Amino acid sequence: MSMIEGIRVVEFAEGVAGPLAAVRLSDLGARVIKIECAQGDWLRHASPCMPGAEYSAAFFELNRGKRSLALGPHPQGATQLVDGLLERADVFITDRSEAELKQAGIVPGDDFGNRYPRLVMIAISPWGRRGPWAARKGSELTAQAMAGYTRYLGVHGQPARRLGADVASAGTGMFAMQAALAALYRRKRDGKGQRVDVSLLNSLISMKSIHLAAQSDPDKYAGPRVGGANNPPEQGWKTADEPIFFSFGGSVGAEGRPGWVAFIKETGLSHLLDDPRCDKSGRSSTGFGAYVHALRPEYEKAFTRYPARELAERIRCHTGSASVYLRADETLAHPQTRALDIVREVDAGDGRKARIRAFPARFSRLRPALRGNAPLRGEHTAEIASELGFDSATLDRLLAEGALQSAATPETQQLPAAAR
Amino acid sequence: MDPAARGPLAGIRVMDVSIMAAGPWTGALLGMLGAEVIKVEPPAGDGTRWVMPTQRGMGTNFIAMNVNKKDIVIDMKSGEGRETAMALASTCDIFIQNFRVGVIEKLGLDYETLRNVSPRLIYCAISGFGETGPLARAGCADPIMQAFSGFARSNGAPGDEVEAFRFTGFIDLATAAVATEAILAALLEREASGEGQKVEVSMLEAALEIQSSRIAELLGAGLVPHARGSESPAIAPDRAFQSQDHEIFVTAHDDAEWRGFCAAIEQAQLAEDPRFATNRLRVANVPELYAIVAPLVRARPAIWWLRVFKRHGVPCGLAHHFEIFRHHSQVAANDMIARLDTRDWGEVSVAGVPWHFERTPCGVTPPARPGENTEEILGALTGSSNSGTAASVRG
Repeated sequence: MSMIEGIRVVEFAEGVAGPLAAVRLSDLGARVIKIECAQGDWLRHASPCMPGAEYSAAFFELNRGKRSLALGPHPQGATQLVDGLLERADVFITDRSEAELKQAGIVPGDDFGNRYPRLVMIAISPWGRRGPWAARKGSELTAQAMAGYTRYLGVHGQPARRLGADVASAGTGMFAMQAALAALYRRKRDGKGQRVDVSLLNSLISMKSIHLAAQSDPDKYAGPRVGGANNPPEQGWKTADEPIFFSFGGSVGAEGRPGWVAFIKETGLSHLLDDPRCDKSGRSSTGFGAYVHALRPEYEKAFTRYPARELAERIRCHTGSASVYLRADETLAHPQTRALDIVREVDAGDGRKARIRAFPARFSRLRPALRGNAPLRGEHTAEIASELGFDSATLDRLLAEGALQSAATPETQQLPAAAR
Repeated sequence: MDPAARGPLAGIRVMDVSIMAAGPWTGALLGMLGAEVIKVEPPAGDGTRWVMPTQRGMGTNFIAMNVNKKDIVIDMKSGEGRETAMALASTCDIFIQNFRVGVIEKLGLDYETLRNVSPRLIYCAISGFGETGPLARAGCADPIMQAFSGFARSNGAPGDEVEAFRFTGFIDLATAAVATEAILAALLEREASGEGQKVEVSMLEAALEIQSSRIAELLGAGLVPHARGSESPAIAPDRAFQSQDHEIFVTAHDDAEWRGFCAAIEQAQLAEDPRFATNRLRVANVPELYAIVAPLVRARPAIWWLRVFKRHGVPCGLAHHFEIFRHHSQVAANDMIARLDTRDWGEVSVAGVPWHFERTPCGVTPPARPGENTEEILGALTGSSNSGTAASVRG
């Protein structure tokens, strides 16, 4: 048995947020049908391409195990089919605009809840359901900028930098999944579904709660949450080879922070233990004191005598925390990551295998089931229509009218050869 | 009416013995969802009470991470305190701890012990590197995991080796978001099976989850994430351009937005240029593309570009900071920031709820004072409002 056996999810969403929420529900046992509009999920056409496939590597991981129903250029003809899908669905995840939903016969509003009283609808938008920007287009990048994330990278006045990770989209995917699970739980209690709204901007601001509080009305100008945006770029501590980050925790006694003092003596920096420019006169740690950036070269003179991995190990021996700044491929190859069995193999069609990440949490009793095989656009159109009771003559008519498309319809896979 | 009491988890009770950020925000999210969350602090207090900056003496970090909770003090290191903790756990649906691996066993509050008392308990253990493996017992913190997980290697100016996010706490909060997903899944499953279970969440797995698309590109196509300034490896155009005054951030995900982009910069012929005919071609030819676009954007001010990109259905925006976006009508209209009127610490802005439930709305309430609910909670536990147990374990 799986965590949420028998839950039916309809996803009418693209990119990262909605598909991530749906694929994680799939890992827990839900069956997902992905509706794609005529243009197709933009993430299919993103770079880099999955070798041997028409879709991107990111598309594969976020859409594996789903079945695809493709709408055509005239989706108005498919409204009865879409209605049938929603009628038997438990969760509907969408990031489509009201206009696009309307075209497919979906009209959110009071009637929507009456039509599908048990349905949990997760509505994803860039900027939120209400307000002057409600209908405005958005993206990962514009959300990061708007939420003030870009100012914690780079240097003020220089070209902006983004977080390389798609944090707004993935964060929204997580909140969307929480919303779906919490609303399903509530439905167990009272039998009713409901609509839940999440947005990229809201998610980023949520995950910034510590910083909002820090900037409310602080007692003094102290701590990285106040000065962080104006500090120089954080590129780690120099060593003989790669940069590292480290910190020492625990309370600072009369003799200083025990591990820190021993570490500093071992590295030949004893003279800094009484330096008034350091936190608690050098006996706490390099910390976040006012001179932390000015003092770096002093420490680094000693640190550059050690290779990064050796220095990190020494710090850990002295009860500190440390890590080399790993590249993601090094992270995945690290014995720690392997011990957690994070990278798994699933089927990728035509007898091929592909590597993906497992569900990001582990459960003592139940195991998430990781599915493979991301769908071609419209690969399951005929199968799904048949399940909903549409006969083949009706299906052929809908395909001919451009209401639906199937993977067999030539215009479905319209990528020029050069782009594959 | 307490707004939190109306959320989808109304009726659920949570015992949260975690400290710092990743554990406490998990409890806070469950509290925002309507659960009754009891934060259990050691007599010395959660260390975030003293993390800078403070507001009227209280660590703002503590305030942000402990909204929607009651607060009691128990010395779990004492025999009596441990018994009280066990008794409280037996009244709860969910238990959250984020001690360094191995510590909770010493306190006698590990899963095996608690499940004997309460088989329906969902026990959430949050760690840095996971509970097995060579680094299981190594110390961890947000910037450490930024380094270990590859997160910092994908930031920086082109050519940079690494740049950490000077915004510590982000990986902690991502970990809390994953923990909440997992707890909710276990809660839903309990409805069918009647049994609880242990849920393990690590900062490492959460840091990889928040990098989903970049890690997928690595696993599926061998592309190692690296610093690209404001650009993306997946789509083009997608970056910040310097206009006559401000930088403007603009994205085109698909053909429709690409055509809108070309129209907005008054270069309709670019949409027909075979070098840029598909997204993958634009990504492959990105230097040529940006060499054409950058001087055009530089010639006019940001306000022009905001108007014209919007008119053509192209995502665009400016970079804001707190003082600006806190007053933005879009942020206000969707309650993205909650202004808490606290009794002791003045008005504090924290995040509003991340999800908006239409039928069972959620809300944000200020944290309790440390130890504020000790008598109420422990009194109810022993059946008398002022028991000896409650008095002896108060901080």
